[in-house]
Amino acid sequence: MELYKFLPQTNCKKCGKTCMAFALELLQGKVKISDCTPLIEETKYKEKYEALKELLGSEEGIEKELHIDIDEDLCDGCGICVTCCPVNARYCPPTLSGKAPDVPHDKHQLFEVKDGKCVLLNLEHCRRLEADGRERECHVCEIYCPREAIKILYI
Amino acid sequence: MERIPCTGCSLLCDDVLIGTDGIFIDKIYGACLKGKERFDQLAAKNRLTSPMIRKNGKLENVSWDVALERIKQILTDSSKPLLYGFSTSSCEAQLKGITLARKISGFIDSNSIICQGKALNVAKETGMTLTTLTEIINKTDLIILWGSNAAESIPRLLNKILFSRGKFRMTGREIKTIIIIDPVKTASFGVMQIRDVALHIEHGKDLELIRVLKEECCKEGNFPEKEVAGIDKEEFKRLLLNLVGAENGVIFVGQGILRTQSDDNVIRELLELVQIINARQEKGRMSLALLGGHYNMVGFEQVALSITGKNHSLQFSDNKLIETKDTIITKIEKDDFDSSIIVGTDPISHFPFSLSKNMASKPIICIDNRKSATSDIADVILPSAITGIECDGLAYRFDHVPIQLKKVLNPPSGVSTDEEILNQIIQKLDVS
Ligand code: SF4
Ligand code: SF4
Ligand code: SF4
Ligand code: SF4
Repeated sequence: MELYKFLPQTNCKKCGKTCMAFALELLQGKVKISDCTPLIEETKYKEKYEALKELLGSEEGIEKELHIDIDEDLCDGCGICVTCCPVNARYCPPTLSGKAPDVPHDKHQLFEVKDGKCVLLNLEHCRRLEADGRERECHVCEIYCPREAIKILYI
Repeated sequence: MERIPCTGCSLLCDDVLIGTDGIFIDKIYGACLKGKERFDQLAAKNRLTSPMIRKNGKLENVSWDVALERIKQILTDSSKPLLYGFSTSSCEAQLKGITLARKISGFIDSNSIICQGKALNVAKETGMTLTTLTEIINKTDLIILWGSNAAESIPRLLNKILFSRGKFRMTGREIKTIIIIDPVKTASFGVMQIRDVALHIEHGKDLELIRVLKEECCKEGNFPEKEVAGIDKEEFKRLLLNLVGAENGVIFVGQGILRTQSDDNVIRELLELVQIINARQEKGRMSLALLGGHYNMVGFEQVALSITGKNHSLQFSDNKLIETKDTIITKIEKDDFDSSIIVGTDPISHFPFSLSKNMASKPIICIDNRKSATSDIADVILPSAITGIECDGLAYRFDHVPIQLKKVLNPPSGVSTDEEILNQIIQKLDVS
């Protein structure tokens, strides 16, 4: 978590959470930099504040939404994302042995391969939105896709 | 929705779900792009739907009877016919092919001869530790791709073996290591993580690497001082430690090893290396898997072996199998044939020019479901059904496990299965 480095890291809880949780929500666009009052008020954090503003760019404060983008041209339907996504692994037993999940799909299932290409079925149950703690930082689909067809974005 | 095995490649994925409207397949779940293309072949523009014969230099649609009559004529005039292909046919059709070869005193070979066939010859002398897909999924902790670009030739293989969470490998990808040995950076390198080992071996130096490994495997804690076959000594050390340290390893041998070498030494010494590793193994074992391309290449070997005791390159004469060192390649090179029957493959575009030139100079009977360079120059074409969609039958997966193929649609009218077609030729030859 790069953003964490630029927070006071005191866990003062003035924002209602820990610095780590704050950093995560900052990444997801759920909170604004200014919600961390010590960062703005205390001059010793001025450098960090400036760096953070720089890092997040001009969109500071605008609500950002999670997107998982699949590049159809790159995808060859290998199904690795279907198998490796931990949510699929939990709710679609066939994926444990690398098999295609059942159709109609479980409501939690995130990816499926249809007509030779990967399709994103839903986002609601993605760990980045539903899980707690470190699991919220999940990005296995993005790192494991051998074609680099998957991008996790906040827009 | 119906589960059917995909015949797109030798992995024969049996988890593919399809929906049909009675004429076409309109939904495909689970198959990769390559598999989808196989299903798309049903309605492809280049589909063959009528028998054809060449008249005054041009191919013309004719009835089955006329086409069969022409075939009879060609085969009666021919004393040294070749039969080739068969790796995209069912085992039943392969059996009929061998029956026909015996009947016409022909020479029959499958595509396996330019692929994994050679390895099996060697294995007959030395033995070979094989494994199955299920065992790999449940137990493997080390996967080696040697001269194989699995990500492109068998798109779902890495998904099934590397990312699955098998019974004894519940943590999935995290507990498995993959090593890729290849002179070029192929698409398969895309699955690698930090712990994995990418080895860019120098072209054609596989034998050198195997020999050093064989030597070093027997010594404890001694490593070469300098690079081996273009592989840095640190990387070599990682390879060696993984090889001897893995509980259940599997080496996938691909085209890079199976095809290019003219002699069998590479594969022979690789088999010996595996034996050496296994002799030291206490817990599990190291095994081999040969990666062919076409979905039923292994089937031909199984069928041929079970009825003749030889797994490819069968020469018949007077109803008997006779000893020969020839393969389809040497037969064509020596021009030792006078007609050919090609089933489900396209040698005219796959073979080097010198061979396809020889082939083109003799009558060609082509049995296939789609147009190809071979059908374009054929003298007779018989249109066949797509096995695994329009006709059922048995096929063998890359790991020698038989899979029952299904029929889900009827072939277009006027199109027959490979098995029926070969049977009709046999019967035609019987009537005087
Ligand atoms: S207010 Fe700022 S310093 Fe305090 S816990 Fe939240 S992020 Fe950390
Ligand atoms: S892992 Fe990548 S290439 Fe494979 S199916 Fe998923 S998106 Fe497509
Ligand atoms: S980020 Fe994790 S949970 Fe979300 S889709 Fe990707 S693999 Fe699944
Ligand atoms: S990997 Fe091979 S058998 Fe499996 S879906 Fe793809 S083409 Fe079909």
